[in-house]
Amino acid sequence: MRATFKRTLALAIPAAVMAALASGAAQAREPFGKAELDEQNAKLLELVELGYNLWHGSNPDMTSNGLACGNCHPDAGASNPQTFPKYIQNMNRVVQWGEMVNWCIQNPQAGKALGLESKDMTAMYAYAMNLHRGLPIQPGLAAQQTKPIPVKYGKGFPSKPSGIGFDTK
Amino acid sequence: MDHKKDRREFLQLTGKAGLSTIVGSAAGINLGVFDLAHAQPGKKVSPFRFAMITDSHLYSGEDHKFDRQLEDAVEQVNNMAIKPDFVLYGGDIAQNGTEDQLAKGKKLLAALDTKLVVIPGEHDWYVDMGDAWKGMFGRDYWSFDHKGVHFIGMNSILVPDFWTAKQMSPRQRMEAMEMLEGPIGGLWGVGAEQLDWLKKDVAKLSSDTPIVTFTHSPLWDYYPRWNFQTVDGPQIREILSRFENFTSIHGHVHQTLYNKIGNMTSIGAMSTSWPWPYPPVKLAYPGSQMNRADPGNEVDGMGTLAVNVKAGGSKLVEYQPFADSLTPFLKKGLKA
Repeated sequence: MRATFKRTLALAIPAAVMAALASGAAQAREPFGKAELDEQNAKLLELVELGYNLWHGSNPDMTSNGLACGNCHPDAGASNPQTFPKYIQNMNRVVQWGEMVNWCIQNPQAGKALGLESKDMTAMYAYAMNLHRGLPIQPGLAAQQTKPIPVKYGKGFPSKPSGIGFDTK
Repeated sequence: MDHKKDRREFLQLTGKAGLSTIVGSAAGINLGVFDLAHAQPGKKVSPFRFAMITDSHLYSGEDHKFDRQLEDAVEQVNNMAIKPDFVLYGGDIAQNGTEDQLAKGKKLLAALDTKLVVIPGEHDWYVDMGDAWKGMFGRDYWSFDHKGVHFIGMNSILVPDFWTAKQMSPRQRMEAMEMLEGPIGGLWGVGAEQLDWLKKDVAKLSSDTPIVTFTHSPLWDYYPRWNFQTVDGPQIREILSRFENFTSIHGHVHQTLYNKIGNMTSIGAMSTSWPWPYPPVKLAYPGSQMNRADPGNEVDGMGTLAVNVKAGGSKLVEYQPFADSLTPFLKKGLKA
């Protein structure tokens, strides 16, 4: 079984990549410095904020009846990105999270689906995943579908806690 | 989706799941809700039944699915085997607080066979600070006696002025309050005026008078982040602490919910619009957590509430789900 997997892997990876991997240290780089990490994180948080806005109805194409993701999924609750891919009964197949989001956009929201690789979908995924940070990744685990999300403060991007469970954006 | 088919299936389900337990002693005739002259609070409670519909979140425009879901709720209540003496609407008729949405709600609720009493929710209020709502439904806090029980309705969604300093328009103010996890409005409550009124309202009642309060939000700190709370709930509970039978019934949480604190039994109603996920809070009665709604069934996780008041004032509260959302704990009915 293991040998078969290795053979498959070798066939799947292009020769150029294999060569790059084989060259080892020559292709490596220093670990990212603080400034680089801060910059990367800032870009992520920018996308999280876009995701938050989309979640709450900023893209009119995503709805024709006024409903937004946030109506039923406050704080991205019960959206469970950490449990995908998983089998969805309505679709009778295993789907990735973005396909489930598009199902919601097209059915309860009666809107136009997002491209799975679009910036908007990535932003929504970034927002939902940020709120599920720290939860175990458990693909396919339907039993986890009601796992609540503890949100101490903030919507996944930096904000000052007010001490009452709300952030102060 | 084939709504006609869904509706047929829904009505079939309503027939099966709607009234699993019926209290036979409840009166079948509506004897009038505001029977102040003949009420003898605390002396004798005649059995009766009332119902609750809440959180319809109607949008503007024609033929929205939430209109149909409110119609379904009205139809369900009208078809109860034992008629309720009155129906309580628990707030959030509208989604965006506009007059057309409130008027649509009033029109749809007019199809009820029985008398309607109404309290406001935050979605009804923050465009014009309740002006349109009060014009259509009257006072936002009130009380009445019915067959020996003292009923109290209060407006629990009042927040301190956050809009003037920020120079927000009425629409911006409403938008700030529309989002469940919106941070701007902060925690809400009934405020000092209603607390003073409540003290006076119950001052002359004997302690054996059964009390039922209606508020949009729960009178205990369930999950403040989503305003699943009333900031002066502890003061309300203190004012009502001497009563032997005190039941708090609320909307806002869009889910089944049961708790007991001191002498208060607290019960949350399902919405007619959409179900909300349970927040990360350990419930004292985990069996009161309804089943996860099937997203493929557009009426799953929603419904109405029926309350059977027995002689003596104890109650059996029954959820009337649109689909099969109830746990065995819930199917038995909740005692209050």
